[in-house]
Amino acid sequence: MGAAGSKLEKALGDHFPEGERYFGLENFGNTCYCNSVLQALYFCVPFREKLLEYYEKNKNPADPEENLLTCLADLFTQISSQKKKTGVIAPKRFVQRVRKENELFRGYMHQDAHEFLNFLLNELVDILEKECSAAKDGSENSSEKVANGPRNGLANGVQKEPLVTWVHKNFQGILTNETKCLRCETVTARDETFLDLSLDIEQNSSITSCLKNFSSTETLNAEDKFFCDKCCSLQEAQKRMKIKKPPHILVIHLKRFKYIENLGRYKKLSYRVVFPLELKLTNTMEDADSEYSLFAVVVHVGTGPNHGHYVSLVKSHNHWLFFDDENVDMIDEAAVQTFFGSAQEYSSNSEHGYILFYERLSNETS
Amino acid sequence: MNNSSTNASTTSTTSTTINGGISTPNTGLKNYFKTPEGRYNLHSEKSHPSTLLHFSHGKSVSQVTLANLKEKSASTTPTSSSGYSATSSVRSAAAKLLGTSNGGRALSFVGVNGANKVVAATTKTASIGNSSNGGSLPMANFDGKGLYIIFNVGDTLYIGDLNTQEKDPIKSINFANSNPVCHTFNPEANAKDGHDLLIGLNSGEVYTVSLRQQLQDIGKKLIGAQVYNKDGSINNSRCTSLAWVPQGNGAFVVAHADGNFYVYEKGKDATIDSSFSLIKDPTHFSVAHAKSNKSNPVARWHICQGSINRIAFSPDGTHLAVVGRDGFLRVYDYQKEQLLCGGKSYYGAILCCAWSMDGKYILTGGEDDLVQVWSMEDRKVIAWGEGHNSWVSGVAFDPYWSPPSSDSTGENVMYRFGSVGQDTQLLLWDFSMDELVVPLRRCPPGGSPTYSAGSQSSQWDSAVPSGTLQPAPCMRDVPKLSPLVAHRVYSEPLSDLIFTQHTILTACREGHVKVWMRPGSSESISTDSETLSSSTEKTPIPNCK
Repeated sequence: MGAAGSKLEKALGDHFPEGERYFGLENFGNTCYCNSVLQALYFCVPFREKLLEYYEKNKNPADPEENLLTCLADLFTQISSQKKKTGVIAPKRFVQRVRKENELFRGYMHQDAHEFLNFLLNELVDILEKECSAAKDGSENSSEKVANGPRNGLANGVQKEPLVTWVHKNFQGILTNETKCLRCETVTARDETFLDLSLDIEQNSSITSCLKNFSSTETLNAEDKFFCDKCCSLQEAQKRMKIKKPPHILVIHLKRFKYIENLGRYKKLSYRVVFPLELKLTNTMEDADSEYSLFAVVVHVGTGPNHGHYVSLVKSHNHWLFFDDENVDMIDEAAVQTFFGSAQEYSSNSEHGYILFYERLSNETS
Repeated sequence: MNNSSTNASTTSTTSTTINGGISTPNTGLKNYFKTPEGRYNLHSEKSHPSTLLHFSHGKSVSQVTLANLKEKSASTTPTSSSGYSATSSVRSAAAKLLGTSNGGRALSFVGVNGANKVVAATTKTASIGNSSNGGSLPMANFDGKGLYIIFNVGDTLYIGDLNTQEKDPIKSINFANSNPVCHTFNPEANAKDGHDLLIGLNSGEVYTVSLRQQLQDIGKKLIGAQVYNKDGSINNSRCTSLAWVPQGNGAFVVAHADGNFYVYEKGKDATIDSSFSLIKDPTHFSVAHAKSNKSNPVARWHICQGSINRIAFSPDGTHLAVVGRDGFLRVYDYQKEQLLCGGKSYYGAILCCAWSMDGKYILTGGEDDLVQVWSMEDRKVIAWGEGHNSWVSGVAFDPYWSPPSSDSTGENVMYRFGSVGQDTQLLLWDFSMDELVVPLRRCPPGGSPTYSAGSQSSQWDSAVPSGTLQPAPCMRDVPKLSPLVAHRVYSEPLSDLIFTQHTILTACREGHVKVWMRPGSSESISTDSETLSSSTEKTPIPNCK
């Protein structure tokens, strides 16, 4: 451990970023799905800052009830306050908490990192919402939570607006699902919020192309007709998804695990899907094309859905780092390319980008 | 684009005869594609023995260089010459060969446009070679002429004979310490040492050799090479692109992955290392000259942070286009060492670039899946080609294509260009300024609302120390082009594209090259000298009016 740490420190030398900590995470038996996501989230700086802030505010709570949020805040604080710059930390309490909260992650089986991320973010949102409503009901000593309260204020009075927590502020975007009835041509638009986008993938394609397909027009017909309120019947319709409000942190999940009907099981798609280090969302309804920069990639290693390993690539202060449980190494930016996938179905390369984390660049108008 | 036949490769009569040379385990790949001017048929494939493992130094992407070997002896043929007159006499010979004045001009920059694109330029001077050396092994007294391709796979550089349908390379050269990653050929090579092939390595080392000399040797080592930047002593980052300076008397430019490129001159002692001043501000452009005028390299240009991905000289050699990781196209006045103009991609790195034959337009392609058309006159992006489903890895204008209705007024100039991408597709595009649908332009935020033609042209020749770089345009502001043809070439991502007079060459990353016959070309690309002379009656650069 120490040796690995010093190697990284040596590699970075004078360039070791001030105040930054690069710590590997111990694996408690197939917890790499958790470790890889934690590293990506830790290096999601706006998220980390909020979490550290939360820890500071809630260090000595009256009732020291432990939940996933406090455990995560605890872990992040533990990492960021290490005296040493590099090393290994055991996220024991956090992992125990995860296993307590969700039986899915209780066993020692290989788990899906995206499912875990989804569970974690939603859990954090729940906890924050609960705390917020509790704070509103009772005491006034928690100004921070009120500050994170509803964006539109309480003008609506009785009508309860959904809370916008800092998790939302970081990850939430809004999709508009437009459906046009092909008979009466009425367009029904429905907004949906999302914390990440799950994209279907194709062999030898790019994220840009996958996003385009995601927003492309789809015809609903045959078995799949649309119930038009105006026509009061099932009709053929055209449906498309548009990004109405792009999120600050854009999380893209590549659907690499596909259910193959005639096999009766899931199969891993090792397709080569290239992802640029900078990305723009074109099909948004906002005026400006919002630009994003890639800062983390959760990589699935292995050939099947039920086994394998997760590692993560993280960009911190313009250096790329490779986190593999306890180990942290520096990698060249160009090495990110080796995680795109395989152009051929059978290939020795089994390390494939699975979840991509992009942060919106601040110089863009929003 | 493709016709309605089944997924299985449709075997045309032409291709059946060639199938010996074509191994197609890939289903769903057609061996022809249709364009308005006719059908392009797969003529042959050039590949490498796949049983060998080439990855002793890691993988690298295959690039292709086209080489046109002329008659051997300098004194016996009019196409070569000695000493200083080399360039001009080659040019005039070519002009004669091509039968047009444009031809001479075209030839003068041959082989200089950056690694491969340029090579496309090389080809235009040659009708596809002769078959004098059909598929034979290198011979000690090798005196072949004609067209050859050079491509890199792993630690090996292969030379394939384009004069035959032979699939296997006629020569392979192993590099012991590092992978060859880029190469370019200069048919105007100085006759003195005949070094016409430039090879850049992953280690940063650069070699110049005589292609003919390699073909004369049966070994697997580079013969008679001159090495530059030995052991990366000047720059140890990867070579990314090479270019012979047009009419540069053997001078060449080597771009590296750290955002610098170096100018080397021939005949200077490569063993004396040049020392350059430190780069004070890596975010700024700077040019440093070697302190000693005996050493090599003679100059270092610091372009950008991150890698330079491709460099290409304009046909007349006055301008140098540089594209790279930071997503910018930069165009420099090479002699004045000044930035003329440039701009940012929509997003992501730019991976390739190529000039039009008349030097008016630059194509770029990159990680935004777009083919970008840059106008030198407007100094901005004038069109985006949408059609690739992944990154664009190779672009080139087709210098041999002529518009269907020869509107000889010269008012409406049409261009044909091609692009290949990691989506395994070859796309062909037609482009004419007149047909661009320009979206209503809003005032760009923070910029001047219009480009005034007057101020533009006055700025054009002015000695302003540095030009300006345009920010990335908005999607809605740029006119869009749609491809004329989309053809899936391989099951692997493509890496390179070359137009020759009779063919289009496409290469995939793993080092397989396909040769597509143009419609109306003879069944064989190997033409003897008679057909050669007759075919030269075609105007080589129809879009150059």
